[in-house]
Amino acid sequence: MGRRHVLLLWAIAMALTIAALNPVAAQTQKSTLIFAVESLSGQTMDPILEARPGNAIYQAPMYDSLVGFDLDKGGTGPGVAERWELSEDGLSWTFYLRPGQKFHNGDPLTARDAKFSLQRQMAPNSLASAAATLRRTITSMDVVDDLTFRVNTVTPQIGLPASLSRAVATEGAIMPKDYIEKVGEEEFRRKPIGSGPWRFVRSVPGDRIEYEAVAWPHWRGTPHFKNLQILLVPEESTRVAMVRTGEAAIASIGPETMMSASRGGLEVLSVPGTMQALYQFWGVYRPEFKASPVADPRVREALSLAIDRQQIIDHIMNGKASLPYPFAAFGYTDYFDAPKWKQWADKAYRYDPARAKQLLAEAGYPNGFELNFANTALPGTQFMVDIGTAIADMWTKIGVRVKLKNYEWGSFAPLIRGDQAHLVGGVSMYRTVGRPDMPWRYEGSFASDSEQHLLGDKTNCDTYCQAFDSTYRELLSERDPAKRTLLTDRLVQTVSDTWVAVPIIEGMGYYAINSHQVGQFAAIPGRHELGDVFERIPRPEEKPWKQ
Amino acid sequence: MTRYIVHRLLQGVVLLCMVAMIVFFLGRLTGNPVDLMLPEDATAEDRVAMIKALGLDGPLYQQFFIFVGKALHGDLGDSIRMREPAVDAFFSRLPNTLALIPWAILLAMGVGIPLGVLASLNRGNMIDRIAGIFAVLGIAIPGFFLGILLIFVFSVQLGWLPSGRMGGPEHYVLPVITLGAFLIAGFMRLVRSSMLEVMDSEYVKLARIKGLSEFVVIWKHCLRNALIPVLTLWGVFVGNLITGAIITETVFAWPGIGRLTYEAVIYRDFPLLQAVIILKSMLILSINLAVDILYAYVDPRIRLA
Repeated sequence: MGRRHVLLLWAIAMALTIAALNPVAAQTQKSTLIFAVESLSGQTMDPILEARPGNAIYQAPMYDSLVGFDLDKGGTGPGVAERWELSEDGLSWTFYLRPGQKFHNGDPLTARDAKFSLQRQMAPNSLASAAATLRRTITSMDVVDDLTFRVNTVTPQIGLPASLSRAVATEGAIMPKDYIEKVGEEEFRRKPIGSGPWRFVRSVPGDRIEYEAVAWPHWRGTPHFKNLQILLVPEESTRVAMVRTGEAAIASIGPETMMSASRGGLEVLSVPGTMQALYQFWGVYRPEFKASPVADPRVREALSLAIDRQQIIDHIMNGKASLPYPFAAFGYTDYFDAPKWKQWADKAYRYDPARAKQLLAEAGYPNGFELNFANTALPGTQFMVDIGTAIADMWTKIGVRVKLKNYEWGSFAPLIRGDQAHLVGGVSMYRTVGRPDMPWRYEGSFASDSEQHLLGDKTNCDTYCQAFDSTYRELLSERDPAKRTLLTDRLVQTVSDTWVAVPIIEGMGYYAINSHQVGQFAAIPGRHELGDVFERIPRPEEKPWKQ
Repeated sequence: MTRYIVHRLLQGVVLLCMVAMIVFFLGRLTGNPVDLMLPEDATAEDRVAMIKALGLDGPLYQQFFIFVGKALHGDLGDSIRMREPAVDAFFSRLPNTLALIPWAILLAMGVGIPLGVLASLNRGNMIDRIAGIFAVLGIAIPGFFLGILLIFVFSVQLGWLPSGRMGGPEHYVLPVITLGAFLIAGFMRLVRSSMLEVMDSEYVKLARIKGLSEFVVIWKHCLRNALIPVLTLWGVFVGNLITGAIITETVFAWPGIGRLTYEAVIYRDFPLLQAVIILKSMLILSINLAVDILYAYVDPRIRLA
């Protein structure tokens, strides 16, 4: 063999080695995807120290969740666990993990990691929002084998898989047991490791978090970009300017900025079904309000009929919102007959001021009445205040004398608790976020022993209140999907008939996009944050992920 | 002089105690961080558990005594949101703000002082009026509006400068202008009125009679004396810059202590808010003390008084 042949063989061997060390995915990943967001919340990379929005925005790229998403419809879908099943007695859930998953340090992801992660989420030092509920409901956890993990509960917990999905909460995030035990919590917080499609590079407090795409094919999607940067830019105008100048590719915006972003040549992405803006009456079941106009369901229905929801959608939400489903229900809600209820809602939530006036007259208030209205906006949805102001004006047009009082959320939230003295007998703005497990939300608002107890409390529980409590109890332990759907129907009907909590619009999440920097993509319905979408966002020259 | 310094230091300690007390109780009137950390459908049980985990479960007076006890040992608590010592969070962001402030002062002095001199030399004519308009605009235009306007013109329309964030020298231009605009006006007005007073004094007339050039009279004799009141207010101006940085840093996504203050307020991060306000107060008090001492040296009447 001549010297030339030896050199040729050596060159081929080198090329093959490089190719093997640098897989195809890594070769096609290039440039940096820059996303500007208004808040990085705690900017901590430990999932047990972060609330839902932060987890969904900046922890989601690097951590996988036990239960994932249905990318097309919204709601829950396969995640680290590809499937899960409830035991015959309803007291344990078994999760089957997908094989071949690994953490960024190369350690395999197994059922032991899933158990360890849930234990961390339930620990006393955890700030996970449902830590206390999980501690109360979960009795034990078993590692059946490397890929099988069982959670045993005190009572049947039909909604547990949804609670362990990022569609709902942070508690499903999977962390590396061996690594944390080896380096300790402090070191893990400095150099976190997850199993998501992006690995952590650095976090600059108050400025940004940087990630690098993993080089192997990931079940969530292999990133098209080599790097990801999430920038903290609190001022919305600055975020939009950054997208216009190309300093960022995508920025979160509010509905009030959509028009100017479009006029500035940016694309606007709307994520459907992320929230419902609603209003709700407080304590109207109490004996002292028996003679109050708002104690009469006809009056409450009249107030709904007086609202021109399309006007609100067109003028406050700039057309990027839709007519709502019933309370806390969305197109992707589990065990819910969405088409049937959509039809119902379109009729029930129509604009019919004549009928509203007629109902008021029938109830004995042809000249209207005085109504206390607490207007507020929950964090992240400031436009709710404008919606509140608009509906107060619409109620005035049917003769209701609205006494409007605006509250900042921080001062409104404490009013809900205890005797609700500042709210009872009146109405307030409220919100529900898009999540697939509706009964959980209903329980928090309507059960007689809940914090809000809008239908009745333990001492004043009328027919509606009792009907709700009994249906909810039945629903908790019902395993049959068809029967669950029927029970959900009953629950929705009970609440809807009372007109105590009434949706106004179904809102969306909004993003300004520079189409020269990223290709076309779609968000997950109901999922405002993009933490689980970054890996699917194509570069501009690539074909769209979804039309 | 020592007595004067000790007196001022004692005043500072009393003031800090008052600031700490006001921030502690006022901050808690604005709501509870748990309401912002938990979703709206969280159970009462989860709420109680989180309040306990964050150490917010005791009565208010008890929390205050714990805070004072720790503060006396230099521990201002941990940030609720970031789960790190609030003092560390402050000092990790302070250099970013301090990187901005000297440039804003330099800009303000570089533009404001000559403009003030120019206005005083042309009292009542067009130049004075134009300088006056600048001064009024500098004071009247809110920082957030000026910042957004500058971003729109120089970043979006002209594409000359970045819209925000820390980075190379080009990243400093717009935040420094926004932060310094108010001070330019302040310096200009102060120097103008001070110059007019000085130019009317006997020693300036004497300098002119002695045949000194107008340049020397104005820039050496008048300006040097006119700058004494500016020195007094320098401390106030730096204080303004530190507090004014909240808006500039928020608009330009600048990760300094101004933004840290904004975030502490937004998230009801009480320990962080307390730490930031107390440490900022200490910073401002120190600067003011330094200026006062300097002024006492310059003007003996102060220390004698």
